[in-house]
Amino acid sequence: MTSQTIPEARVRSAPDLGVLLTGAGALLLVGSALLPWAGYAGFPGKMTLSGYPGGARLYVLLLALPALALLRPLPGRAAALRAAANVELAVVALTVYFVAYAGGGFVNVGGGVYPAMIGAILYLVGSRRLPTSEAVAEGVALPDASWRFPVESLVVAGTAGLALWLFVIGLGMPSSSIASGSDLTLGPLSINDVANSGQFLAYVITIAGVALVAGRLGLLKSLTIMTGRHPKLFVAAGFIAAAAFPFTQNGSGESLSIAARIGVFAAAAVGLNIVVGLAGLLDLGYIAFFGVGAYFGALVSGSVTSVTGVHLPFALTIVLGGLVSGIFGLLLGAPTLRLRGDYLAIVTLGFGEIFRITVNNLDGSAGPSLTNGPNGVSNIPDLALGSFNFGANHTLFGIDLSFQSNYYWLELLLLAFVMTSFLRLSESRIGRAWVAIREDELAAAATGINTTRLKLLAFALGATLAGAAGTVNAHVVKVAAPDSFTFIESATLLAAIILGGMGTVPGALLGATVLYLLPEKLRFLHDLRLLVFGIALVLIMRFRPEGLVASKRRAREFHDHETDPAAEAVA
Amino acid sequence: MDVFFQQLVNAIVLGATYGLVALGYTMVYGIVQLINFAHGEIYMLGGFGALTTYLALPSGTPAGISLPLMLVGGIAVSVTAAVIMERFAYRPLRSAPRLAPLITAIGVSVFLQELVRNFYPHARSARNFPQLVNPDYQIRLGSNVQISAPQLLTVTVALVGMVTLSTFVRRSRTGRAMQATAQDPDTARLMGIDTDRIIVTAFVLGAALAALAGVSSGLQFGQVDFHMGFITGVKAFTAAVLGGIGNISGAVLGGFILGLVEVMATQYAPDPFSGGAWKDAWSFVVLIIVLVFRPTGLLGERVAARA
Amino acid sequence: MSVLEARAVTKRFGGLTAVKDVDLVVNEGEILGLIGPNGAGKTTFFNCLTGMETPTAGDVTYKGAPLPKRPDLITKAGVARTFQNIRLFNNMTALENVIVGRHTRTKAGVFAAVGRGPRYHREERESEQTARDLLTFVGLGRVGDELAKSLPYGDQRRLEIARALATDPGLLLLDEPTAGMNPNETAAAIDLVKGVQARGIAVVLIEHDMRFVFGLCDRVAVLVQGQKLLEGSPSEVQSDDRVIAAYLGKPTEAETAGDKQ
Ligand SMILES: Nc1ncnc2c1ncn2[C@@H]1O[C@H](COP(=O)(O)OP(=O)(O)OP(=O)(O)O)[C@@H](O)[C@H]1O
Ligand SMILES: [Mg+2]
Repeated sequence: MTSQTIPEARVRSAPDLGVLLTGAGALLLVGSALLPWAGYAGFPGKMTLSGYPGGARLYVLLLALPALALLRPLPGRAAALRAAANVELAVVALTVYFVAYAGGGFVNVGGGVYPAMIGAILYLVGSRRLPTSEAVAEGVALPDASWRFPVESLVVAGTAGLALWLFVIGLGMPSSSIASGSDLTLGPLSINDVANSGQFLAYVITIAGVALVAGRLGLLKSLTIMTGRHPKLFVAAGFIAAAAFPFTQNGSGESLSIAARIGVFAAAAVGLNIVVGLAGLLDLGYIAFFGVGAYFGALVSGSVTSVTGVHLPFALTIVLGGLVSGIFGLLLGAPTLRLRGDYLAIVTLGFGEIFRITVNNLDGSAGPSLTNGPNGVSNIPDLALGSFNFGANHTLFGIDLSFQSNYYWLELLLLAFVMTSFLRLSESRIGRAWVAIREDELAAAATGINTTRLKLLAFALGATLAGAAGTVNAHVVKVAAPDSFTFIESATLLAAIILGGMGTVPGALLGATVLYLLPEKLRFLHDLRLLVFGIALVLIMRFRPEGLVASKRRAREFHDHETDPAAEAVA
Repeated sequence: MDVFFQQLVNAIVLGATYGLVALGYTMVYGIVQLINFAHGEIYMLGGFGALTTYLALPSGTPAGISLPLMLVGGIAVSVTAAVIMERFAYRPLRSAPRLAPLITAIGVSVFLQELVRNFYPHARSARNFPQLVNPDYQIRLGSNVQISAPQLLTVTVALVGMVTLSTFVRRSRTGRAMQATAQDPDTARLMGIDTDRIIVTAFVLGAALAALAGVSSGLQFGQVDFHMGFITGVKAFTAAVLGGIGNISGAVLGGFILGLVEVMATQYAPDPFSGGAWKDAWSFVVLIIVLVFRPTGLLGERVAARA
Repeated sequence: MSVLEARAVTKRFGGLTAVKDVDLVVNEGEILGLIGPNGAGKTTFFNCLTGMETPTAGDVTYKGAPLPKRPDLITKAGVARTFQNIRLFNNMTALENVIVGRHTRTKAGVFAAVGRGPRYHREERESEQTARDLLTFVGLGRVGDELAKSLPYGDQRRLEIARALATDPGLLLLDEPTAGMNPNETAAAIDLVKGVQARGIAVVLIEHDMRFVFGLCDRVAVLVQGQKLLEGSPSEVQSDDRVIAAYLGKPTEAETAGDKQ
């Protein structure tokens, strides 16, 4: 957002044509939000009602609101409005498309669609003509007054709550009637499926758009300053909000079970982030360590399909599962960590494949009987801690809780533990040594760091965390089977932290959420999931290699080769 | 003993395929230090390119005409894909941190697989490949040892490809420029070598050889599928490392040795670890062992030191 | 009392002998200059001392004990260095760079880092305080929060020295500490090296800036084509014909030939 110089006269001449157009566009959009968009019943969000901005119309309304900034020349205004207009156009186009598609043709759209389309175009054209000489918005810190603490606390806690609330809304949005797991046959999509997908997509885009606008107006920077001052409060608020989630579900378990899976996926991603994001070791077989834990957990769960017949207490299982997986990490890492980084990538990939092939074969015919081959170890019994049965529904404070809440809380604890470990490690002697190795291994050695040992530590620690997460996951999904541990799973985890932003916890959470939730909710994309995933990897590396949430270090690291000719010459 | 010699023949055929694909890895890695993860998919595209060519030809075209055309078609598809991939995915990242191009390569690999799976007609499961060279036509090499016609074709194509490549690299101007760039890209540039062009050349040559391998494997097994490049790709990379990455003869040698290990382990490994179910695992075990004990490969690596 | 004794250190790269039979003794608290034309093997000699290269032959003792082989152990033993082509942790702040230098002198492991007991906090505070003091010592007190790579060249060299000092060395090896500096910065560097000496740390420095070397060093050794040509006080070295000849690249016939035998 470099502000360019434009002729004086244009800055002063008010009211500017751009301002007029933008304002007109926004007014049309607001109006359209109150008119019906669908001429038929059945599209989610009461799209036939007039005078009520339901469904995707709410998003349209929301994205028109930044136009209020036209009333006062705020810094960053033009950039923010341009972003809002871009996203608005996308949301309008998308929604119109889905309404028309689900209604069997454009003839069946409602009257609100026309002003919306015209408004979106005016909004876009106008925002492009806004004078851009205004300064880039800087984050503002509140003055050091007695009211600062309560205000900041409120904002910080509110932000954590809001983020989770948005997540929960997305989670609860209806997805589709297709049974999950039907991988190959897409089958005919019902109108409902399409409409639901469309609405979910519009929701996600709107959130991204609002975040973008807030960023352009400097609000995100202010927020970062505030959360940076009260990190503990931020985390605590987030955790409490997350823990309270099951109480909002009226005894239903569907969203909870998705949330629990996202949680374990995120925990694994954070663990991988230690290996890749901090120590810079590319591990392409990470899911295998997760698998070691899962199989270990399954085998000692007392399941009837486990050949061991052993049933260990769960607390012990987690610890042992982590340890076993960590030992695998040590055995694999010790000889290979001396190698060039990209060789390590291939070795870990090889290990991942060996693991998958092995558990697939240990069925008593192609190998010793241990894992039940392709069927895996299934029917893992529900956990019980003392007299508390994880498989039963409970009532707490008079609120019904489905049994999934128990597993959800378990995952939440796991995630909290992994996140805490990551955050504390990254700001410690060990974490600094990892980053130093990533930056310049030779210099790190010359500074007194035992590079081999520390790399091994990162690798084994990552494996241990993955193993622990694996044991938990085996009890949540009740089965450990080979096809959950393929290369593509490792690649997805890697993609989660790259998408979110390497080396940051919020990045890993965001990446895991997006990569898990999008395919879950966008069933019409189901078959193209991996295709989109491949393109996304390429595009992210090309245009935003630091990910959505950039750690400060990474942002500069990835982008200065574009500006610094010296760096280019060296590479 | 017959079993052994028969397996030796099979190993040589398998090794020829690995060697062909390994050459692409080794050339690209030697010059830009990139594990071109998507190279296996280039091999797969070669098979599909040839299949498409075959389907486009009028039925009844004699094998003598359709086979060469299929080779050309396969090569054309592979080379085009490789050039596009280099230009738009890898080149912009030439000076980015090392993880970036590798991750991009994974993305390209997944993308190409899915592209074929979703958009090539009926490619969700394996597609039949025309049996132009009759697999029942066997040449006896011993009392109970034989090589089938498609196998023989594979070995022949591989040998011709390898010899041509090595002559090209050693004799031609471009080939010598490639060697120079692999040694020291900066100096090569100073000496007036257009390194961008050299890098593209490496991709093109690698893709052409991979396409040959893809077509031969289609002929041999009578089918091609979107996933065939993944395992073969990783194994071919193993072969390249085994021989010493960046080293052209090394890639070929590595291919044959890996073929040998895989076939022999499948046959002779102690029960219950023999048999097809463990075949791929053995290759990866070899990979790990090689990297641990001889990370520079059998013939030594030839890679420019990177600052 | 000597701090470091290198005996008959030799390093061959294939056919090229980059360092040949070099003996060198560094005395406690002294500043020793190591000079020689480009490609004389000075950096390679440093690399042999610090474990970046394994010497083909020869041995090195530090304070009477043989020097370990691994770079990190050598640093732990008390020999720290800087690099000719600056090697900082570019995407860490200046302060973090120096704190990393405390690595060998601190203990906190994974459990301490995750558990964060009082001892952990004390150690972190101490590391940070030491690092801040060192930044001030080298004159970078104000830029602690900047990323290393965003610092100007001269500051980067000083930051490298601060990072090396953070390892509590008894001997500091500086490879061309003033390369790329302007005259003002070079003058400041003289004070800095003297300050290091005043802390009781012996210094060996490679330099091409002769005024800097002769103005600062207690003794000077000359390396030519991998061999030590001579060693002595700055005035002795300065007035030696062979040194001038070596730098001009034209051996004065018989003299050098005779010397080689
Ligand atoms: N890793 C290596 N492999 C092969 N030759 C090397 C290696 N490192 C250094 N050399 C060679 O050893 C010789 C000595 O190099 P060195 O860098 O030690 O010189 P120097 O005295 O530090 O020179 P300068 O003043 O230019 O820094 C040079 O001829 C160099 O090319
Ligand atoms: Mg030097």
